[in-house]
Amino acid sequence: MARECTGEFRRELERLFGSSVSFDPQILRSYDHDVGEMPGLLMAMVRHRPDAVVVARGADDVRSLLRVCRVCGVPVTPRAQATSGYGGCIPGKGGVVLDLCSFDRLLAVDGKSLQVDVEPGMVWGELSRRLASHGMDVRVCPTSAPSSTVGGWFAMGGVGIGSLRYGSIADTVVEIDVVTPDGDLRTCSGAEMEPFHQTCGTLGVVTRLRLACRKAEVLRTPAVALPDAGAVAAFLERIREAEVHSACAQSAPYCAMRAEATGRAPAVKEGFLLSLAIPEGVPDGGVIEDAARSLGGRMLAEDVGEEEWRERHYPMRIKRNGPSLLVGEFVVPWGGFAPALADIAARLPRDRLGVEAFAVRGGTMAVLVYMLDDARSPIYPVRMVKAMVPLHVAARHGGRGYATGMWFAAAADAVFGREKARLVRARKAATDPEDMLNPCKTAGPALPFLPFVNLSRCILTATAVLEPLAGLVPAARPRSAGPGGES
Amino acid sequence: MSATQELRGLSAALDAAVDICARCGFCKTGCPTYPFGGGFETFSPRAKVHFLREFAMGREALTPEWSDRFFRCTTCERCETVCQTDIPLIRLWESMRERLVRQGLGPLPAQKRMMENAAAFGNPYGESPSTQTRWMLPEHAPVEGTDILVFGGCTASYRMPAMLQKGVTILTRLGIPFSYAGGEEHCCGSPLLRTGQVEGATGLIGRNLDLFARRKARTIVTPCGGCSKTLKKDYPVHAKSLGKPFDVEVLHVSELYVRLLREGRLVPSGRVERVVTFHDPCHVGRSQGLFEEPRELLGAIPGLRLTEMQRSRTESRCCGAGGGVKAGYPEMAAAIALDRLQEAVDTGADTLVTMCPFCQGSFSQAIRESGAKIALAGLEDLLFESLWPARAA
Repeated sequence: MARECTGEFRRELERLFGSSVSFDPQILRSYDHDVGEMPGLLMAMVRHRPDAVVVARGADDVRSLLRVCRVCGVPVTPRAQATSGYGGCIPGKGGVVLDLCSFDRLLAVDGKSLQVDVEPGMVWGELSRRLASHGMDVRVCPTSAPSSTVGGWFAMGGVGIGSLRYGSIADTVVEIDVVTPDGDLRTCSGAEMEPFHQTCGTLGVVTRLRLACRKAEVLRTPAVALPDAGAVAAFLERIREAEVHSACAQSAPYCAMRAEATGRAPAVKEGFLLSLAIPEGVPDGGVIEDAARSLGGRMLAEDVGEEEWRERHYPMRIKRNGPSLLVGEFVVPWGGFAPALADIAARLPRDRLGVEAFAVRGGTMAVLVYMLDDARSPIYPVRMVKAMVPLHVAARHGGRGYATGMWFAAAADAVFGREKARLVRARKAATDPEDMLNPCKTAGPALPFLPFVNLSRCILTATAVLEPLAGLVPAARPRSAGPGGES
Repeated sequence: MSATQELRGLSAALDAAVDICARCGFCKTGCPTYPFGGGFETFSPRAKVHFLREFAMGREALTPEWSDRFFRCTTCERCETVCQTDIPLIRLWESMRERLVRQGLGPLPAQKRMMENAAAFGNPYGESPSTQTRWMLPEHAPVEGTDILVFGGCTASYRMPAMLQKGVTILTRLGIPFSYAGGEEHCCGSPLLRTGQVEGATGLIGRNLDLFARRKARTIVTPCGGCSKTLKKDYPVHAKSLGKPFDVEVLHVSELYVRLLREGRLVPSGRVERVVTFHDPCHVGRSQGLFEEPRELLGAIPGLRLTEMQRSRTESRCCGAGGGVKAGYPEMAAAIALDRLQEAVDTGADTLVTMCPFCQGSFSQAIRESGAKIALAGLEDLLFESLWPARAA
């Protein structure tokens, strides 16, 4: 049973962390949410507001906090920039939030092995900037690179810019230091490191990451218009052997949403825009142009690709016209991409769906389905069911969820794979049986008045049951609204 | 009136703006003052927008602590530049400050003194207006009735007179006729507008608008980033609400220099053998989009080599002086200036160049206190050195 942050424990935190700990309710309220706009009813089911926040500046801070919290039975939730919407850094049982954003130094750069050591709060964009003076750059980064952290992305798991060439964040992290729930510091790599990836810091708080990097290089950024999702998948198959750094597909409705938000003309008015990044020195032998032409597509003007590359960190511009955004996210094999999108569109016939998808080495796509909405609307909580449709539909096409966090913790078997999920649960049971380190993220939170009922399981089950009805819920933005509205 | 209605009173656009925040945190990592809040998220622009949303829904209250967080902003505009959803964050912060002043939760004591001084003396420093012209040299000969009116600005006139002096000397020697209203010129209102003291600012703006009309100015030239931003962006709005004419072109002095350069009337010919790095003043760069003009001028100086800092142009970091922060939080302002100075030192340049009296004041103090081995120069210093090499010494 989690204890409160009061009395002796509070004094101990003050002694250990001085001005780097706060119990001020005004400060605590900044730590009770992430980027997701969850309905109040859902948030009320977990103790999402912390009792204290500690700003860590080094591994010793992390070790001290985990030790004292373990002794006192107080939960700890590690948090970086909170740029994910899965609830992975939202407290599930109150306690202490461990803010890792100021724990952000670049520790070492090895130009020979092209590896760097960083602290977990290092921001991707900043790392890229710092590496430039060494003639190096990061291999992969999330679209949220201007703010998101290396440690946060590893803890959540993910793919993004550069993933067609280099895979996921897990493929780029070579070694980590991690503080385990009992406060011990360990260094691990390979299979030993894997349980700490994607698990939101439930098994330990990462305090150092060694990353494989690449030599800095100029990337050329062609853009291709393709007639449909099937052509996108076929195109990716055709360029599988080419050394393409990054490939991002955006549907015409998504381009239209962005055009409305920015006032600029949409890059394509039908089908898909596929933005590529290719190392300047790598000849593609004409495969890009040939593939585009043979699939009924065409190369777009150079400035289109350049603009897409400049805007690569700004996928959320479309929220300007929301004001809210429902996002369904999943990972699917290239072959399942088009069928899954067709299925989703059929199940949400009234809604205007914008699609953005990143191609990943090995033949998968990380797909985001956007629906503009308004969280102030009384039926917003009902409409949130629509955001779950893509996830459920993708499963029928060989897909899975993108991440677990808190809300989808019960989907760990599908997201991690059964074997890894079993390992994670076993390790959690062995090292943190009372679920004190980032609680509620391994199995999911329990309902407050029905502790034997798992909230995450409820979300997944209820939305699966209601999925056939989701299409009947009035759309916030009907499909016919605006250019590119028909998909 | 409910909190929602009160916030809506700021303006419908700003009310809507807090709802479209993507919570991406790009503003947080760019903010120069966030790290000085102990590393707590609550001091970030993202958290302030979240607070405003909660406040609008009646779930948060304005407190002295929140007032402190809103007054910490240097209005450097970095947050607004990187915002995914283009929230007009600076207008939001300034509107909140205005509201905090109305509610008695602001301004900070030092900022209040600026307003009292401006009301009594016409400048926030409390200097006698009779000393406003003391930077002038005998060779400076303002001509009544000419198109160009030089607006010195309080910081340049009273605190950094050398830059104003040199800038006007350049115009004089190039034979550019100008008028000057020394002694009658009032604070442009920027320090008060940025700190929510709109009522006090409006009086100053009104007096300056009358002055501009009396002088029949067609072009106002100023060396100050804050003044030029305010004259360009705020004066048209206030002139409309005050019912006063303001059909005037406003130029930061670098814009005038570039025009003269392109017209072949300003020809830097003397070699200036320096490696310089350029600091984009927030209120000149991000506020007015003047990034290429200073670089074009520096590029025209023979012998001079420009090396950029890691963050430049739209990504440039703040010097810490804006938004009333230098007055209200001098220690934080000094620390921000030191951070930026270090970036300049890291380039290996021998000279840090800028073109705003606030920035020059901040870096001058930072160099003095840190002992950094880098010289500080105004853009006009280097131009002068190249234009009249023999006399520059």
